[in-house]
Amino acid sequence: MSDENKSSSNPSGGEPTATRSTAPMWIIVTTLVLLFVGGYYFDQHSGWFNKKVYAPYSSAEQLEAFQPKSGEAAALARGKVVYESVCGICHGADGMGKPGQAPLLAGSEWVTAKGFNRLAHIPLMGVGGPLKVAGKDWNMNMAAMGAALPDDDLAAVLTYIRGAWGNKASPVTGEDIKKIRANMGSPKAMTGDMLMAMPE
Amino acid sequence: MKTGVSVFIAAFAALGASWCGFVLAPSLQLGGAGQQTVLNGSDTYPIQRTGDATLGAQVYRANGCVACHTEQVRQTGVACEVTLTSLGVHKPADFVDYVRSLSVLPKLAPYTNALNASLKDWTGELPKTLMTSSDKEIATEMADRLKAIGIKSETRIVATGADIARGWGLRQSVAADYLYDQPVQLGSLRAGPDLANIGTRVLDAKLQLQHLYAPKSVLKDSTMPPFRYLFEVRKIGSAPSPDALTLTGEFAPPAGFEVVPTTDAKHLAAYLLSLKSDAPLYEAPFTPVTAAK
Amino acid sequence: MNPTENPTSIGGTNANDASCRVPLLALFGGAALWLVAGLALGIVAVMTFHKPDMFADCAFLTYGRAQAAANDLLLYGFVIPAALGVMLWIFSRLSQAPLALPLAAVAAAHLWHLGVLVGTISILLGDSTGHPWLEYPRAAAVLLFAGFMLIAVTAAATFGFRSQRELLPAHWFLFAALLVFPWIYSTANLFLVSNHMPRGVVQAIIGWWFANNLLFVWLSLVGVGIAFYFIPKLAGKPLAQTGYALFAFLTLIFFGTWSGIPTNAPVPAWLPVLSSVASALVLVPIVAILIVTLKTLCGANIVCQNDISCFIKFGMASFVASGLLYVSQFCPQYSRVLDFTWFGVAESQFQLLGFVSMILFGAIYYILPRLMGTALPFPKFATLHFWFAMAGVLLFVVPLFIGGMKQGHLLANGAPFAESSAVALKFLRISTTGQLIMLLGALLLTLNILVMTLKWKLGLAKALFAAVTAPLETSEVKS
Repeated sequence: MSDENKSSSNPSGGEPTATRSTAPMWIIVTTLVLLFVGGYYFDQHSGWFNKKVYAPYSSAEQLEAFQPKSGEAAALARGKVVYESVCGICHGADGMGKPGQAPLLAGSEWVTAKGFNRLAHIPLMGVGGPLKVAGKDWNMNMAAMGAALPDDDLAAVLTYIRGAWGNKASPVTGEDIKKIRANMGSPKAMTGDMLMAMPE
Repeated sequence: MKTGVSVFIAAFAALGASWCGFVLAPSLQLGGAGQQTVLNGSDTYPIQRTGDATLGAQVYRANGCVACHTEQVRQTGVACEVTLTSLGVHKPADFVDYVRSLSVLPKLAPYTNALNASLKDWTGELPKTLMTSSDKEIATEMADRLKAIGIKSETRIVATGADIARGWGLRQSVAADYLYDQPVQLGSLRAGPDLANIGTRVLDAKLQLQHLYAPKSVLKDSTMPPFRYLFEVRKIGSAPSPDALTLTGEFAPPAGFEVVPTTDAKHLAAYLLSLKSDAPLYEAPFTPVTAAK
Repeated sequence: MNPTENPTSIGGTNANDASCRVPLLALFGGAALWLVAGLALGIVAVMTFHKPDMFADCAFLTYGRAQAAANDLLLYGFVIPAALGVMLWIFSRLSQAPLALPLAAVAAAHLWHLGVLVGTISILLGDSTGHPWLEYPRAAAVLLFAGFMLIAVTAAATFGFRSQRELLPAHWFLFAALLVFPWIYSTANLFLVSNHMPRGVVQAIIGWWFANNLLFVWLSLVGVGIAFYFIPKLAGKPLAQTGYALFAFLTLIFFGTWSGIPTNAPVPAWLPVLSSVASALVLVPIVAILIVTLKTLCGANIVCQNDISCFIKFGMASFVASGLLYVSQFCPQYSRVLDFTWFGVAESQFQLLGFVSMILFGAIYYILPRLMGTALPFPKFATLHFWFAMAGVLLFVVPLFIGGMKQGHLLANGAPFAESSAVALKFLRISTTGQLIMLLGALLLTLNILVMTLKWKLGLAKALFAAVTAPLETSEVKS
C-alpha cells in the first residue's frame, strides 16, 4: 500500500531505509584522543573527587597551601575583634581607659613590660585591690574577663594591646597562655602587690 | 543495534551511569553535610535562618525572583597580598630604593614593574599593599626578605574574580552556603545583581521594602519591576503605621494614604537581610579584614 | 512531488494512519494551542523589561511567574506531546501496523494536557517549585508522568508488533527517548518536588542533571530520530552512513548525559570538570549527525517548494549550531564571560524553538494530510509558517546571543552593572519582535490543525446524522 512515489528507490513500500555501514576509524580515533585529553584535564583540575576542592583550586595540596595561617597578622586581626567586643567597653577602643571605670592601656607599664606573665594574670584572675597604673592609683574591681576566652583568643588580645596605640612589646602566643593557665592555681582577684610578687 | 532489547540496554547503561555519577554520588558525598566551623575561628557556619526569613525564602520562590537574580558568587583565582604594616627604622624613600634593588633577583624580577608602580606616589602612609601574587612562594619570599630587614608586613589571602571585584562577595559560594535552603535558588541569569551577600550590603529592612515597592526611588537607573502587589495602600488610621514606607515625590501615595508592606513583603525582606556568605571556610579561604563593626 | 498537495490522488489514507487519527489529533491539537499560549505568555513576560511598571499590581503576570510558565508551556505543552505524536505515527508506519492500544494514547493525551493546564495555573498562582524546567508542582507532575507512561506503553507495543524486525536509526533514537524521559522525570520529581528534598546544593546538581538530560539529550534524541526518518524519505534514498549514525547514537547517550553542570557551580570541582570533558566529547555525535544528514541530502532532488524539507533542514542546521553553542558554555574560558547572561537563555530557546520545534512543524505538516486523508485546508499557510518561523527564530535568538556576549564582556571587565543591563535591553527589544513573528506562525499552524479537526468532526457528525435519518430498509416478511 504505497503512498509515496519514491517507492522506486524504496523497496520496503515507501518507508525510508538505511544503508549498512560501520563507523569509520577516524571518528573512533578522535573520540579516543578526546577521552585521553579529557582524562588528563580531569587529573589536573578536578581534585580527584575531594569534596573540599572547588574550582579555581585544582588540587587538595594547592587548597592547603592557600590556607591563611594563624600567623601574626591573623592574630592581630582577631585580637582587635576580641578586644573591641570584650575589653573595649571599659578600657576604650583607643586604649585610653575611662576615668572612674578602667585605667588606660596605651603606655601602661603593665602592658608594655618585657615579660607578659603579670599582664596575663590580670584578665585571667581579675583585679580586686590597689593597682598603680602610669603614676595613677586605681582601686577598682575587674572581673576575670579573660578566664572564659580560649587560649588563642586571649593571646591575640594581649598581643594586640601590646602592639597598638604606640605600645611596642613582644607578642603572646596561645602556647604561652596555656602554660600560664596550667600553673595558675585557684582563682584569686589580683592586687598590685600580688602581681609584683610574680615573675615578669 | 539489531533489537529493541539492545537499544534498551544501551540507553539503560548510559543513563544509569550518569545517574550514578550525578545523582547518587553527590547525594552520598554532600547530602549528609552538616554545619562546619569558620576558618581560624570558632563560629559555626551556616546559621539557620529565622522563621521570618524561612517564610521569605518561599515568597522568593513563589514570585520567581530566581528568574532575574542569582545567589552565587564566582571566584576565578586566589592571590597572596603582601601589605606593609610598619617600616621599622627605615624611611619611605629608603624603602622604595630597596624595593628597586630587588629587581635583580630572578624570582622577583617579573614583579619589578608592579612593585614600582604601586610605590610610585607613595609618601609613607601605612598600611600599604605592596604586591598581589597568585604564587604563594613569591609572596612568602617577599615577606621573609622584609622581615629580615625589620619591616613588618602582613600576608593576606584574597579571592580574586570579577564578582569579588564588584563587591558582591569576599569569596566564592560553596556547598555549605546552601545547606539550609529549601529549595536552592541559584539562578541562571543576572538581569539584576547577585544577591548572595545582599544582607551585608543592605542592612535596613525598610530600605529593602522601599526598593521592592519602588525600585527607581532607591536606584535611579533600576530596571527592576516594582512589586506593588506585595504592598497595601491604605488610608492612614488614627496614627500612621510604624511599618509604613517613607516615600517622596512621584512614588509617594496620595495624601492621607500610607503604603504598608504585607506579611509576604516583610518575610521577603527578612530573607534578603539573611543572605550573607562571607565567612571564610576551609574550601574557600581568605584572610578576613579586621572587623571594625 | 509536493506532499502537501492533495494526497487522495495517491491512494487515500491507509488503515494504519487512520488508526492514529484520534490520538494524534488530540496530541497535536492541544500542542498547537499550548504553543500559541506559550509564545503569547512569553511576550507578556518580556513586556516587563520594556515597561517595568506593567504588571506591578498583578501577581499572576510578574516576570518570574510568567516566564517560567511560558518556558514550561513551550516544552511540556508543545514540544513533548507533539514529539510523542510524531513518534507514535513513525512507529506505526515503520511497523506497517496500526497503532496498538489507541485508547490508551487518547487517554494519555488528555491526561497530559490536563497536567499542563494544572501546572501552568499553579505557577501563575505562585505554586512553582523553584527548580528551572521543573516548575510544575506535584499534582501536575503526576498527571504528566501518567500520560507519558501510557504513551510509552502504546509506542512500545506498536514498536514490538513490527513486521520487519530490522531496526532503523530512527528506531534507536526514538526508542531510547521512551526510556530516558520517565527515568529523569521521576528522579527529578522524587528528589526535588517532594517533602524530603536533599540538603543543600545536591538539589541544584540533580536539577542540572535533569535539565541537561531533558533539554539536550532527550530533545536531541527525539529531534534527530524524527529527522532521520524524514530525511531519507524526502530525499528518496536510504539514510547514508549508518555507521556514523550508530556511533552518534551511542556517544550521544553515553557522553551527553554527563554534561550539564555549569563550570562555576558552587560544587566540588570534580562535577563541573566531568561535565566539561563530557561536553567536549559531545562534539563527536554532533559532527557525526551532521555528516549523515549532509551525505543523505546532498545530491538528492528536493526543491524548497517542499516546505517540509525546509523545516527539517533548518531544524538540523539549528541542531548543529545550538549543539556547538551548548558545548561552548562548558568551556571554562567562555563560561567565565557567558554565564549568567542572556546567552544561556538564547541557547535553550534555540534548542527548543529552532531545532526541535522546526522539525516537529515539518513532521506535523507531513503527517496531517495523510492522517486525515484530505489536503491541508490552507496549504499556503504552511509556506508562510516556515518563513515566519525561520525569521522569528533568528530574530529572537541571534540578538539575545549577541546581547548576552556583550553583557558578559562588560560584566567581566568591571563595567557598572546598570551599563550591562542597558546594553542587554537594547538587544532584548529586537528579540521581542522575533517572538511576535513566531507567534503569528504558530497561529497559522493552529488554524490549520483546528480547521482540519473541525472538518473531520463535522464529516463524522454528518455521516452519523445521515445514518440515523436514513430510511429503514424494508424486506418482505415471510409469513
